Amino acid sequence: MSRRLQLCLRRMRLVLLVCTCTGSIYAQDLSGIVVHGFVSQGFLFSSSNNYLSMKSSDGSPQWTDGAVNLSDSLTDNLRIGIQLHMYQLGEFGGSNVMVDWASGDYRVNDHFGIRAGKVKTIWGLFNDSQDVDAVFLWILLPQGSYSIDHKSFYLSHIGGDVYGDLYLGRRAGKLGYAGYAGQATVDLNDGYIKAFAESGLVFTSSLGGKTYGGDLQWETPLSGLSMGSSANMQALDGTAPTGSIHIPFAFAPSTYARFSRGRVYIAAEYDRIPFHATLTIGSAVFPLVVDGRSWFLMGSYRLGHNIQVGSYYSHYINKSGVTTLPANYSKDWVVSGRYDFNPYFYAKLEGHFLRGTALGYYTSTNLNGLTPNTNMLAAKIGFSF
Amino acid sequence: MSKICCLVLLLGSLASWSEATAQDVVLVANRGVQISEITDADLRAIFMGTRTRFTDGSHAVPVTLKGGPVHEVFLRNHLGEGPEEFRAQWRKVVFTGQGAMPRAFDSEAALIEYVSATRGAVGYVSRISSQDMVKSLATVK
Repeated sequence: MSRRLQLCLRRMRLVLLVCTCTGSIYAQDLSGIVVHGFVSQGFLFSSSNNYLSMKSSDGSPQWTDGAVNLSDSLTDNLRIGIQLHMYQLGEFGGSNVMVDWASGDYRVNDHFGIRAGKVKTIWGLFNDSQDVDAVFLWILLPQGSYSIDHKSFYLSHIGGDVYGDLYLGRRAGKLGYAGYAGQATVDLNDGYIKAFAESGLVFTSSLGGKTYGGDLQWETPLSGLSMGSSANMQALDGTAPTGSIHIPFAFAPSTYARFSRGRVYIAAEYDRIPFHATLTIGSAVFPLVVDGRSWFLMGSYRLGHNIQVGSYYSHYINKSGVTTLPANYSKDWVVSGRYDFNPYFYAKLEGHFLRGTALGYYTSTNLNGLTPNTNMLAAKIGFSF
Repeated sequence: MSKICCLVLLLGSLASWSEATAQDVVLVANRGVQISEITDADLRAIFMGTRTRFTDGSHAVPVTLKGGPVHEVFLRNHLGEGPEEFRAQWRKVVFTGQGAMPRAFDSEAALIEYVSATRGAVGYVSRISSQDMVKSLATVK
């Protein structure tokens, strides 16, 4: 059989598998097509206030995540793949299977590559991997930088990326770069949609806007230490039966550093996410200005092959408001532990000491109002292959 | 008393045996690979997925063992990573669509067989014999 025919058959098998893949994640002999997946189930219990649209003050297990991906290297330089993702987090997500990413990746050499399709957006330390629970010690990442209820807007874009590494020599390390441009979309089951609906703006079709940006990361000659900076420009427009929203391009920078060696991991990041929105509801026009500034410092230590513990502090304030009001800040002390039963199964436990109500709370799930402080316990079990 | 001495000697010899086994990691590559030595930095870049080519420009295909002492010694000595960090790093790459995890094998024999048959393949085993159709690579710091 000719090589071209073999490639063609492999591509057809991949397409067929993607089309029929609605839940089965059994290992399959697909001659070159690689299948990976993960599933996780979470639980949240808060001392007061309901978090992330869950009835967490009663204890809620309404937090399920699952994904399966297929990829195939067609040549030494060309790889294609797709990841299907389903998540339910309180009222967010749902039973619909979504395309998390689907891309073709042509790597000319180690200095230059192109990725096109639906691509994860690189920004800060964790934006592109924030929904991959299996790679983190943490159950919830710092919400000031990576708000889980708004992830659909920031996670990926439809468009293209360029990326590569520049080797600076033995004494200067390596410089990794990435640049992208495309269109980002807010899913109808995202937290932004719920927040707009609570303001009287009910969207029936998803919103979106153009996005572009890049990331520069320096892997220093000091083993395990890297630092970098990302920038993102993003706009958003949407029309609802009762009004509309318009957010012009806003500049969101991120600066970060990470040290990882042996059992120790330390990371820090500073981000700014500002926007000037104009909400039109009926004939009334409401300006909405947010100047979100957040930083976090995290550290973890691996006690043994199976056990890892760590802690982080996450700080968020909305500089455009009165920063002493709980509604304009969110400060979170977190302690976490993770136990890996084997390379595939793991369990996590996490305590949060939340001060302020700027992030993660919704009026419709806190009808009796919010108390400024909440303590929270999160637990998760997961499987990844 | 003599039984205790024997037990101590036995445990000592077992420990030294396992240490010897752990130190005997041999880098193997397909015979078509032109280079004969590789730096730990290049090895790390290839096995962590940030580099896809050897220094001579030819395509590199890293392969690993699924686990065990040889796998762990290779990761610690040459990549400076534990197996958990190695796995987490690759999961990040795989689930963000940025690459494909190296093919992993249950046994050294299966790994050698794959390396011998695959252009650009590079892996590691505890030892090789003259019958193995692979070449060994020297590492330089």
